Amino acid sequence: MDKAQIQQRIKKVIANVLKINESEIPDDANFIFDLGADSTQSIELVAAFEEEFDIEMDEAKALEVQTVSDAVDFIAGYVE
Amino acid sequence: MTTVDEKLTRVHNIFYPESVAIVGATKVPGTVPHDLVMNILRSGFQGGVYPVSPREKYIAGIKCHKYVLDIDDPVDLAVIVFPSSVCHLALEQCGKKGIKSVIIISAGFREIGSNGIEREEQLKTIAKKYGISFIGPNCLGVINTDPNVILDASFARQMPEEGNIAFLSQSGALCTAVLDYARAKHIGFSKFVSFGNKADVSEIDLLYYLGEDPKTHVILLYLEEISNGPGLMKAAEDIIAKTGKPILAIKSGRTEAGASAAASHTGSLAGSDDICDAALKQAGIIRCTTIEEMFNLAIALAYQPLPQNNRVAIITNAGGPGVLTTDASISEGLRLAKFSDATTTILKKSLPLTANIKNPVDIIGDARADRYKVAIAQALADDNVDGVFVILTPQSMTDIETIARAVCDVAGQHQKPVYTSFMGEADVSYGIDILQRNKLPHYILPESMSKAFAQAFSFRQQQKRKKNRPVSFKDVHKAKAQKVLKDAKSSGQNYLPEEEALEILELYNLPVLQRAMVSSAEEAAVAAGDIGFPVVMKIISKDIVHKFDVGGVVLNIQSKNEARQAYQKIMKNVNDNKPQAQIKGILVSKMISDGMEVILGIKRDVAFGPVIMFGIGGIFVEIFKDVTFRVAPLDRVTVQSMIEEVQAYELLKGARGQSAKDVDAIKDCLLRLSRLAVDCQNIKELDINPLIVRNAGEGAYIADAKIMI
Repeated sequence: MDKAQIQQRIKKVIANVLKINESEIPDDANFIFDLGADSTQSIELVAAFEEEFDIEMDEAKALEVQTVSDAVDFIAGYVE
Repeated sequence: MTTVDEKLTRVHNIFYPESVAIVGATKVPGTVPHDLVMNILRSGFQGGVYPVSPREKYIAGIKCHKYVLDIDDPVDLAVIVFPSSVCHLALEQCGKKGIKSVIIISAGFREIGSNGIEREEQLKTIAKKYGISFIGPNCLGVINTDPNVILDASFARQMPEEGNIAFLSQSGALCTAVLDYARAKHIGFSKFVSFGNKADVSEIDLLYYLGEDPKTHVILLYLEEISNGPGLMKAAEDIIAKTGKPILAIKSGRTEAGASAAASHTGSLAGSDDICDAALKQAGIIRCTTIEEMFNLAIALAYQPLPQNNRVAIITNAGGPGVLTTDASISEGLRLAKFSDATTTILKKSLPLTANIKNPVDIIGDARADRYKVAIAQALADDNVDGVFVILTPQSMTDIETIARAVCDVAGQHQKPVYTSFMGEADVSYGIDILQRNKLPHYILPESMSKAFAQAFSFRQQQKRKKNRPVSFKDVHKAKAQKVLKDAKSSGQNYLPEEEALEILELYNLPVLQRAMVSSAEEAAVAAGDIGFPVVMKIISKDIVHKFDVGGVVLNIQSKNEARQAYQKIMKNVNDNKPQAQIKGILVSKMISDGMEVILGIKRDVAFGPVIMFGIGGIFVEIFKDVTFRVAPLDRVTVQSMIEEVQAYELLKGARGQSAKDVDAIKDCLLRLSRLAVDCQNIKELDINPLIVRNAGEGAYIADAKIMI
């Protein structure tokens, strides 16, 4: 799976969890600052990414990821 | 570079903005970002309010902007409520938008450790880049009750009443408790600030701002840590000298085991809280131990004129409480006023025969408002009275509320302080409420009333004191002393043995006795003979700090033969008790025994810098702990006050037929020591113990000294 595909699926997950349109999610959007995720939604996002990609991430490190582009790199490390 | 004036302007805009953006707002009730928006709106703030939220379209019917940069209008103040991980992004946008005044409410910075410290540093860098001044992070926010703006940019539960007291607190949680406490007593505030981690705007900046604030007459400060002691002291001294505004402070951590296991007496006696106590007092800040004590004094200072002297009149409808108040007043150093004949005559005419017309004036249990009114008015009109205490106990016929109103009426007609104590709780509560609403200080207990008056009088006296300049000396050799200390440090020494310590003290012209270093019994005998008997001999080794403990000292040597024996004895003792110690030699010096032993010391404090200690010396110094501290540099008045402060001052003055000691010599030593402490920053601790002080005019001599570097 290449990074473009990962990014597309990540945006789909974000749109579902945060209930926003995929088109409103810039590639370098910050989950909190740009998309308005609160602390509960940040945890929901981690769980949703794990389900989407069928992976188990280090939760503490995953919660440190702040932007869509960083999430792409982080998840790529698990799916490659 | 930001000038002081620019910073004060930015701090001013935190309190007086024309528009506010709340960056990171949400519409979830019960959350900080939501409640803060609501507090600003509810407080009645008349300027523009701009919630900034990445997701919300409207909050409380007000249009939200996604980014602060999207706001078309200028914004004076931004309040950032985002989680700590993105505060830097918000602050960066504030900088780009040209917002110079910011409050960062969010927690998760220095207080949580290394990650937080990094984030806080990031905020400071951004603030510096854009010339932003910010309060916080990790704070409750800011409240300004000035009717011209009325701003509650905090997440407190209630907006306080308007008043002339400013409250600054490092703890946000304490702020909400104080607001609740004050509301119940109708204590109003001019400004209310929780400054949190003080990453940028500090208590010092806020003090300078409030010093200039016409709405603030009294400043209260709650501190958990003091990071710039000298800065805080200077700010307080400047403000008190310029404006006469009292500053009251609570510094928590009093019970900290501050005195470390130090190598010197000064180090072990000078706990960080003792130093803090001394430094705040030196700066004119009134240190309080509890919130109650702080507000007891604050209302006295904020509501009433300062007492010109300490003569009080007590007006009471109950004998017992009158006596209690008298006792408390005398204990606090106050005096009962002696009424003039005119006052006595009028009181005699106006009060029943059973009344006691002498001070304390007992207007009898059935007193109504008319008796209170005449007694208070006559007392206030008497030139021998500097303030009046009004006491009431509730009897069946006591019209509490009418009396309260009468007290308020008459108190307002004179420029003298009137304090009240309506004793009890339930029945007197409405009367107390009237007093508090009318800004008459009320105290449940007469003891608190007397204490507050005594503190207010003490502040009045302190205002009169002139600031003196530190003393400078031409006969000191700073560069040479610095070189000796630097060389010792370079060679790995942390401790200067007596001989080297004396050399430093000699360079500052401190009174060091004639002495000689010897390295044989015969040399000791010759040196002792040259110096003149009696002499004292001491081991000198950088490995031995406490010479007595290893048998390294022999006192009162009266002959050459005794000097030879002493040499052998010391060498044997040291060889037995400290065989690894490198011995430099044995110091033979003149022994002076006919004087009083005092201790002088230096300790370099983390918060306040060099601190000078003075007290009663000798080997029992830690047992008596009769010592006092001041932050260097010292002036002559400060030195005098240090000497007068120790309990043994009476002995120095010459108690029970003994001759007075040479206090002037002690003063000179303290001033020179202060100069040394300021000049030689690498002295960590220094002990002169004892300094032997002879009779007046005969001088003082250093019998022992050590320096830690």
